[in-house]
Order: sequence, then structure tokens, then C-alpha cells
Amino acid sequence: MLADFRRPSHGEADGRLLDRHFTARDLPLLRVLVEERAAWAGLPEARRGDFVLAVDEIATNAIEHAGGRGHLVLRRVGGELECTISDNGPGFSEEVIPDVLPGLDGAHTGRGLWLTRLVSDRLAVRAGSFGAVVTLAMRVR
Amino acid sequence: MPASEVEGSRLMPVHHMRPGDHAFVSYGDGESRSQIMATYAWLGVARGEKVTIYADPRLDEREMRHTVHARGPSMAPALGRGQVEFSTMRALLSPDREFTVRRQQSRLAEETERALHQGYTGFRAFIDMAWVADLNADVAVVIHRETHADHLFADGHYSEICAYDQRWFARDVLDQMAEAHPCRLLDRLGLLSITAAEDTLLVVGEADVSGRARFTGGVRAALARTDRSALLTIDLSRLHFLSLGCATDLLALAAVGGPRLSVACSPLVARTLRRLGSDALPQLALIEVSRQC
Repeated sequence: MLADFRRPSHGEADGRLLDRHFTARDLPLLRVLVEERAAWAGLPEARRGDFVLAVDEIATNAIEHAGGRGHLVLRRVGGELECTISDNGPGFSEEVIPDVLPGLDGAHTGRGLWLTRLVSDRLAVRAGSFGAVVTLAMRVR
Repeated sequence: MPASEVEGSRLMPVHHMRPGDHAFVSYGDGESRSQIMATYAWLGVARGEKVTIYADPRLDEREMRHTVHARGPSMAPALGRGQVEFSTMRALLSPDREFTVRRQQSRLAEETERALHQGYTGFRAFIDMAWVADLNADVAVVIHRETHADHLFADGHYSEICAYDQRWFARDVLDQMAEAHPCRLLDRLGLLSITAAEDTLLVVGEADVSGRARFTGGVRAALARTDRSALLTIDLSRLHFLSLGCATDLLALAAVGGPRLSVACSPLVARTLRRLGSDALPQLALIEVSRQC
């Protein structure tokens, strides 16, 4: 088990912990970087795995549906660890996220986003300059 | 067939390195070496261990420090306080000028003791095997060392990655070295290895969007060749990451019917599968396991 890091008093001035453009081949390293910074920011280990899983799901969504690339910014804002992923795709709204877990028959779409919302303390989808901007956050303490 | 007997069962991702592990990895370029080295160093820092990187003496230490530093904000203070250090095999053996198994192992044992005395929870070494050429060591002696080092790891305070450059070592030497180590690492982040045996599917590494088709295809093929009255074990215990897409595919394939499924996995993967509805599939059983090498 990894130790829980404690955020130092001299953290990034604007709370920005990571700022990266990504494609599919960058995701393995991106997951390591997000996990490292989540630990650094003080996200308890029990929730860190869920956070990385949710970030991967949103990043994968950008890769699969928005031109194969995206942009991730990770911040510590107040008592939250906040990840914003933007893309240049056609955009989507929060309404596509199902309220209940879709069944396993058929295309079973929306299960990833459903679980991402389930594990997040906050999930928001809005239109950006060109595509979608998805923000997910978890309380650090 | 128990998973431990499936070919490839000694394979694991670097994220699964634990105190007491002795692992082989080979690299074909500096980028893959850097990925493994920096991830291993960070995980050591996170566990409160002392980390020493015995580097290729031809490399610039400033570049390596930059690579480790860039892994994240926890690394700068670790470098500053000496929790992560860079050295060479030549320096480790000094004042001796020649490599001997006894000298090297006694020095590594001393470094482990020193780390514990300094308050670290253990000592982990990343050893770039470029030192073999630097010290003109006999490869046969190095193979002997790798197969006679169990005592270094027995108390669980020391772990070691031996990193071999595929461009320098001959193929047959790499094969012998891989066989000589108790563990073998996937040589890059993000790789997925799938090994099928009669009644077991061993999945190692990371199953994300890049490997989803292979993961799903591997599970589908294993289900298809398993008798409906039999039990198929899908061993995910060495899987570091299972994406939500792959998890959904696994459950969707299980839901179609077929043989009973036993899925061995980490607590995180088990929790994810349960959240996605695995409990509604009576033919699927989850077995939570801790990582074993």
C-alpha cells in the first residue's frame, strides 16, 4: 500500500498540479502522473484508484469520440482535487449520462460515464470553445 | 492448471514491485528505461524506501535527475534529502576495482542496512546492467550472481530491478538473464500480456483503450474453448489497470452464458466489477487477491 503524502505548504501557486495534452499512447504515463499528484495532494489511497479510473474514462472518451486527443489539467482547488479534460470533438451534454446503470445487453453504452459520476464528488460537462469540457472532482479530506 | 504454472506467471508490471522482489527488465531505448526507472523510483519514495539508481556510467546524471524530478512534485524533496540517489556499480564496489559476486552482494546488504538505520522502510535499487561492460565482467559470473541472490531479498527489505539493454546484450544472454530472475517486468508502461492455458487466462499489465480489443478478444476466445461444464479462471491479479470499457466487456461476455468464471483480481478491480453489476451474474465469482510474484 502506498503511503498518503501530505501536501507541502509551498504547493503550486494556482493549485495546478499537471497540464498535459494527450493521445491514446500517453494514457499509461498520464495515469501514473495523475496518481502521483493525487497522492501528493492528499487524496486518500482508498479513493485514488477510483479517481485514476474516472480520469482515464473521460480521457478515453475524448480519444474515442473527439479526434483522438485531449487536454488535461489537474488542480487542487480548496478541499478538492479537480481534473478538467477538454477536447475538440462534437461535444456532449450531461444528459447522455444515464441515471441508472445500463444493462449488459445491446451496446451497453454509458456505463463508464455512469460509474465516473458515481465515484466523483462533482462531475460537470459544458461546451468549450471547440468541444466538450468535462470536470470531475473529489474531496481530498 | 493453477495460474502459478501458466507460462508468463512471473511477469508483472513495474507498479507491482514490492519489497523483496528481484526483477529482470530489458529495454530497447532510453525512453522505456526512463519510464520504468522513474516509476520504480516514485513508488519507492511513496513507500518510504531509500532508492538508489546505479546508472549507465555513460549517461549524464543531470538528465536522469530531470527524468526523476519530472515524475511529480514528491520527487524534488526526495532528491533534495537524499532519499533518491544516483550512483554507479563502479562507485558501489569502490575501492575494489573488479566485480565479484561476494563484494557486490555484501555492499548491497550494507546499503540496505544503512537505509534501515536512516529510518527508511527499505532499500530499492535500479541497476542498469551497462556496468557489465564498464567493469568488463564475465557474463557467466553475472548469471551465477542473479541465480544466487535469494538471501539479499529474504527479509523483504531489499528490492532490485536489473535493466538490460537489448542493443548490447545478445538475445540468448537476455533469455538466460530473464530466466534467472524470480520476476520479469513488462518493459514499458501500458503493455498488456495475455497468456492462455487450458482452463486459465492470465492477463498482466494494463488493459486500457489501446489494449481493449485484445483483452476482449482474449476473454471471448477463452470462453469459447472452455467446456460449458468447466470452470474458467481469469487471473487479473497482475493487472495494474482495468479500464471501465474493458470491465464492461468482461461482464457482457460473462452475461451471455457459458462456463463458470472465477475472476482473481485486486480489491480495486473487484469493487469496480461489483459496481458495474457483477453480483447479478451467478456464473461469475470474484476472488480478491493480493499481488504475488
